[in-house]
Amino acid sequence: MKRIIVGLAVLICFAAAGHGRINDPDPRELVKGAVKYLRGNTSRAVVDMTIHRPDWERTMTIKAWTEGRENSIFWIAAPPKDRGNGTLKRGDEMWIFNPKVNRVIKLPPSMMSQSWQGSDFSNNDLAKSDNIVDQYTHEIIGRQTRHGKTVYVIRSLPKPGAPVVWGMQKLKIREDNILIRQAFFDEDRELVKALDMEKIEMLGGRLYPVKWKMKDAGQKEKYTILDYRSLEFGVDISDRMFTIASLKNPRL
Amino acid sequence: MGMDMKMAWRNVWRNPRRTWLTICAIGFACIILIFMLSFQFGSYGTMINSAIRINTGHLQIQAEDYFAEKSMRQVVPEPGPVIRAVSGIESVQAVTARANAFSLVSSDNRTAGAMIIGVDPESEARVSTLETLVRKGVFLTKAEHGTNPALIGRLMAQNLQVDIGDELVVLGQGRDGSVAATALTVCGIYASGMEEFDRSTMHIPLDTFQEVYSMRGTVHEIVVNVSGLDRVGPVKRAVADRLDQIPGGKNLTVLDWDALMPGLTQAIKLDLTIGVIFWALLVLVVAFSILNTFLMAVFERTREFGVMMAIGTRPGRLVRIMLCESTAMTLVGIGLGIALGCAVTLIFQHIGIDLSGASEILQQYGISGRIYPQLSIISALAGPALVLIVTFAVSLYPALKIRNFKPVEAMMHV
Repeated sequence: MKRIIVGLAVLICFAAAGHGRINDPDPRELVKGAVKYLRGNTSRAVVDMTIHRPDWERTMTIKAWTEGRENSIFWIAAPPKDRGNGTLKRGDEMWIFNPKVNRVIKLPPSMMSQSWQGSDFSNNDLAKSDNIVDQYTHEIIGRQTRHGKTVYVIRSLPKPGAPVVWGMQKLKIREDNILIRQAFFDEDRELVKALDMEKIEMLGGRLYPVKWKMKDAGQKEKYTILDYRSLEFGVDISDRMFTIASLKNPRL
Repeated sequence: MGMDMKMAWRNVWRNPRRTWLTICAIGFACIILIFMLSFQFGSYGTMINSAIRINTGHLQIQAEDYFAEKSMRQVVPEPGPVIRAVSGIESVQAVTARANAFSLVSSDNRTAGAMIIGVDPESEARVSTLETLVRKGVFLTKAEHGTNPALIGRLMAQNLQVDIGDELVVLGQGRDGSVAATALTVCGIYASGMEEFDRSTMHIPLDTFQEVYSMRGTVHEIVVNVSGLDRVGPVKRAVADRLDQIPGGKNLTVLDWDALMPGLTQAIKLDLTIGVIFWALLVLVVAFSILNTFLMAVFERTREFGVMMAIGTRPGRLVRIMLCESTAMTLVGIGLGIALGCAVTLIFQHIGIDLSGASEILQQYGISGRIYPQLSIISALAGPALVLIVTFAVSLYPALKIRNFKPVEAMMHV
């Protein structure tokens, strides 16, 4: 009898300890949901990209179309000097177009970790922004409360042999699927750079982070800001949009 | 003392064959040491000079942090006055300006990342061997007018599958952050023998570079060549002084080849370390053979020492005589060794050593197939000095052994 009581007590203790975990959402679903929320099925956006360095700053305007997690295409609309330069992303592949030489160039794998247009976003950040879902294993390591909403802190480690550049990522995702912060770490778990969503407002019919700031961990005055000027979800996009032929004809 | 010396000298020549063998061992070690050291110095000179001449130059003037950060924005704002100031310094042979940018280079089929180097074709030819490294096509100065010429490395041409006359597109970022793009025509292909250089660099005229990358007349490096490696230090100081007097020169820094190519100095240090170990082994072998000769001499002459002690010679005097004998032999050996070693080295310094096995490969890359040993005070005297010290130390043991001899026992010795 005594033994049964002890056994029951142990069982109850385990159940209680496990209770919190049961209530937590599945981390992978959280990450997947957050990526999906940011992208929607289809979207059209106008974004200002500001590249800030200690001694200079430069802003350009980008028009972008996206479809699901796979496809996106965008062109620089301003300043006039760079107008018409385009980037097409299909799956893991990227092409860039320059109107001055009127040529489309496919980015070789060796260039994927280079920065995009001198910003703090690498080509990989743009091309593989969705591989966080499938190439990493996720674990909830903490919970915070911000503005009355729960924010999950998720640690994502690459699966063995996954073709990724980061040694670890840490994500903060709000309970309503909005990504708050994404931090990138190298193999030694040292912070390399971090993406922070600084302003969350109604945009394109939903709450959306309208100001993204990618900041280099090493230097203070080195960051890139994305400012969403307009955003629409569920737009009609023709199948021919995400092709090389289309890349050569900037829709500005 | 004079008496002792005389006795020692006579003793040395009492058994000429043994003496000559010992002298030859010492002399031969000296010859090898002198020649090896000179050869090593000579090959380092060749290595340094060819590395300097291919690209780096003796000195470079750059913006303060450019070498560490290699950022497009860290420029020499006004190259004109700097070049004029540097050209006036004594022993400066040639000066040129360059600009660099990492960009995408794309042919019809392939794309690769590359370091695009903007060079002034006229003065570049005086500073570096780039012009002589062109294996196919022509240098930038002889390119057809009206084309946008580009000179690319052999391995890059291979990777991009291009040949003379083919078109390349360069896509990168300008100094102001704008997109830099242009189409170029391959006018020449060079092979330097340095794989990295041949795979990842491409040279275009500086004015094209400045236009495409929105440089507004600025450059990244001013490359200076002086008349010899030994003039690098003084010229560096003179350049630093003059930079202070130029407006804006405070933000510029001057780096020598040593700082620009840390890998080269490390390679040389490694090679020198291996060399030192080798010489140490050589000296050790010589030391044992000399020890053997001296020891045998003492055993052979035990009876003689016994007689001398019996007629009243003090052991200290015998030790002195023995040391005089060995020192005399060592000095003769070293003297002959230095003379012959220097002679042999000088002959090869004059005619060079043909590395016939490798020369074909080396010549292909603009490095002459001959290496010239470099005789200097250090290379002529360091080895013999080492031999002198070691043989003297080694001869102490048999000499001191005499002190333990008892006259009667020694005389009984056969």
